[in-house]
Amino acid sequence: MLRRFAISFLVVLLGVCAGARTRPHYGGSLRVEIEGDPWQSPDGMARRLVLDGLTALDADGGVTPALATEWKSDDNDHRWQFRLRSGIHFHDGSPLTANAVVMSLNLSCTANCPWTAVRAVGSSVVFTSDSPMPNLPALLAGDAYLIALTRTEDGQTPANPIGTGPFQLTNSNNGVLTLTANENCWQGRPFLDQIAITANRPIHDQWLDLSTGRADIVEAPAQDLRLAQQQRLTVVVSPPVELLALQVSDTGALANPVLRAAIAQAVDRGALSNVIFQKQGEITASLLPQSLTGYAFLFPAERDLNKANELRGGLTPPPLTMAVNGDGTMQLAAQRIALNLHEAGFTVQVATGHNNARADLVLRKLPLEGADSADALAILLHAAGENASVTWQGPSALFRAEHDFLDLHTIVPLLELPRAYATGERVRDLKLRADGTPDLADASVEGAQ
Amino acid sequence: MCFLMILGGAVLKPLFAAAPVAWEQPAAELAGQIAAILGPGQARLTIRNLSTIPNDEIPAIRQLLTQNLKAHGISIAGAESANTIRVTLSESARERILVAEVGEGDRMQVAMVDLGPVRLPTTVPAAGLMLRSQQIFAEGERVLAVLESSGWLVVVEPEALVQYGKSNDGWKEQKRLAVDSKRGMARDPRSIIVPAPIDRLDGFDAFDGAAKCSGVFGMTEPGEWPAQCADSDDPWVIANEAGAQGAAGGSTAELKAFYNAARNYFTGVVTPSIGVDLPSFYSAALIPRSAGNGALLIGGIDGKVQLAENGMLKPVAGTRDWGSDFAVLHSGCGAGTQIIASGSGEAVNDSLRAYELPALEAMPASAPLAVDGTVTALWTAPDGKSIFAVVRNAANQYEVDRVTALCN
Repeated sequence: MLRRFAISFLVVLLGVCAGARTRPHYGGSLRVEIEGDPWQSPDGMARRLVLDGLTALDADGGVTPALATEWKSDDNDHRWQFRLRSGIHFHDGSPLTANAVVMSLNLSCTANCPWTAVRAVGSSVVFTSDSPMPNLPALLAGDAYLIALTRTEDGQTPANPIGTGPFQLTNSNNGVLTLTANENCWQGRPFLDQIAITANRPIHDQWLDLSTGRADIVEAPAQDLRLAQQQRLTVVVSPPVELLALQVSDTGALANPVLRAAIAQAVDRGALSNVIFQKQGEITASLLPQSLTGYAFLFPAERDLNKANELRGGLTPPPLTMAVNGDGTMQLAAQRIALNLHEAGFTVQVATGHNNARADLVLRKLPLEGADSADALAILLHAAGENASVTWQGPSALFRAEHDFLDLHTIVPLLELPRAYATGERVRDLKLRADGTPDLADASVEGAQ
Repeated sequence: MCFLMILGGAVLKPLFAAAPVAWEQPAAELAGQIAAILGPGQARLTIRNLSTIPNDEIPAIRQLLTQNLKAHGISIAGAESANTIRVTLSESARERILVAEVGEGDRMQVAMVDLGPVRLPTTVPAAGLMLRSQQIFAEGERVLAVLESSGWLVVVEPEALVQYGKSNDGWKEQKRLAVDSKRGMARDPRSIIVPAPIDRLDGFDAFDGAAKCSGVFGMTEPGEWPAQCADSDDPWVIANEAGAQGAAGGSTAELKAFYNAARNYFTGVVTPSIGVDLPSFYSAALIPRSAGNGALLIGGIDGKVQLAENGMLKPVAGTRDWGSDFAVLHSGCGAGTQIIASGSGEAVNDSLRAYELPALEAMPASAPLAVDGTVTALWTAPDGKSIFAVVRNAANQYEVDRVTALCN
């Protein structure tokens, strides 16, 4: 497992042999194509290029300063104070102030906020909550809490996102976003002059564009990694950064915990991994990966249909609905799970829409981020809509916390999935962030001057 | 002679290795937890290893566990026992754990003991003219350059100049001076720090492309550090005759180069002029030539390594594996002077390798010395007899290594 974990950090060089490593060149532009929306949250590619958070996760998932330089907690983590970095300006030239940060956070966090109140105190931002927030610095690094200008100096609401990040949006036309280097970026001017992101491009078309030199970076979904290898694409693969999980409602038809336990026993992770995800997913029944905790093997991942039927007993649950967050592959995975559950006596209708709130089951991907296992668990649970605070008190305590949560059977972990991108020959120094998205601010192109 | 530079890389090593564990305490702790679950009686014990801990340690672990369990009234039985203890040696990327799954009939409970961190293996130096490295400083913040003098260490960070004093526990931060340049900086900022001219005894000058900081080593009074920074586009000292000759002490002739602070390279303009137009370059080293003159070796931003000699710029062969950074080392071995170049090829980690330059082809003079990460800066020590490398490891921690050569 560890070797697999380590290897997955590597750039898989299948096409061109690299020469000696040299300093990156400044200049040039990159053409990136994606299947989704570059502004979607979470993980919209343009978001992290244009916007910064108060904190950030480094490539290994550790919490590092970003727009905030330091932070401290009081009152048993009920109150946090983040001191802002001085001299930062938004792309339109207006200064980054504590008030601007508070306005941005109030706008972005309308539900399931980790905090009760946020306010500006001088050059600091203060968060308070009725419950402790030990993981707040890690949560603030999340995509949802990136800071955008909400009101320009003349009182107008910006038409496009304005942030403090390494690139600024300069054009949006025919589904192509043009981002231009922020010369005065507080982290240093990015190497690239420009990035063009083509949105809503099917994977097949992306790969075609890569092969004909019309794109430099395209997506390589986990289920297509084998195909990418066969086509000898140069692929950058992340370690597992997403947990494919079945979220199970604890109200309505599945309020009975025994039925939820039966569902957890009935899913066939092996078939999902082998058939749907082409053996690119790591089968798991734990929330956090073995590489982060060392104890993931304690959660059995084998399907036990007999036990599922035994748990269900004579109960005949009403027909269930399953919503799917994701693409066609996720739809296939949902159909497969519905089939598994049918064998255990459940009738499941896979919904084509995305009305998660009313569905009994939701198949979705949750983030596996954070170098600290307690933070990683908090980030994952927060993304799942749970406002959990997790404090590191050693592996035994964390295991108990995870075990107790999984015992509720409201989340059934299925597979750990990597993210991957295929790159053209011009691209160099492409690394992936802790969330598996490409860090284009540190990428460069060959031959630029 | 002082200058700095960067990057390279090559030599894949085993990624993890187990540090030795004293098993007595963890075995006793785990046995105690198991006993609290099981109580006195009989149990079947199995052990498996999912970690990098060598399998040959398992018999010793089994023996210690058996002894400790016995002390708690649990005797180890065969397959006929209904109670089971399955012990697993496991690990995450950061730490190792000892896990016991304790079964009583259908009921399973878990006991766990933390064994501490997984450690990276140390680098084994190669044979031949042998390079060896010694860590002199480690830091979580990004380190651009350091200079040591008389028990003090000045570290240049992207936004600060920090002075450390030597103590029994290693380097301790004494004073921090913010460097607040008003100009935008590059994504990969660079810096140099050099001894001050001889009229400023025990002083230093540091350049980071947008500012120049000057000060002295040590404190004049407790908490008082005479050092100041100001915006500056002064050229950087990239070579001097003292360094080129490997002599300690103050130099006279210095070669300076103008640095592009918004990028990561020197513009090619040097002072005094050396009689030939230079292209933009990442790194430069003044090397002695057999005719007695010096020549300037430059690593261009186009990837070409060239030698400026006798008013001409000549390409140097044999540098295909070089990264952007190199520094000159006056080892006294072989030809007396070697160029230490960084490289990486396809490996995750970088390496350093010594080369000699008898004519216009770089000849390897040592095997590559693997470093535990990426070389982000490289420069020659003031006395010329060692070089310093800043290495960023996989955990984004920075360390400064002193690299010297052993003659064979």
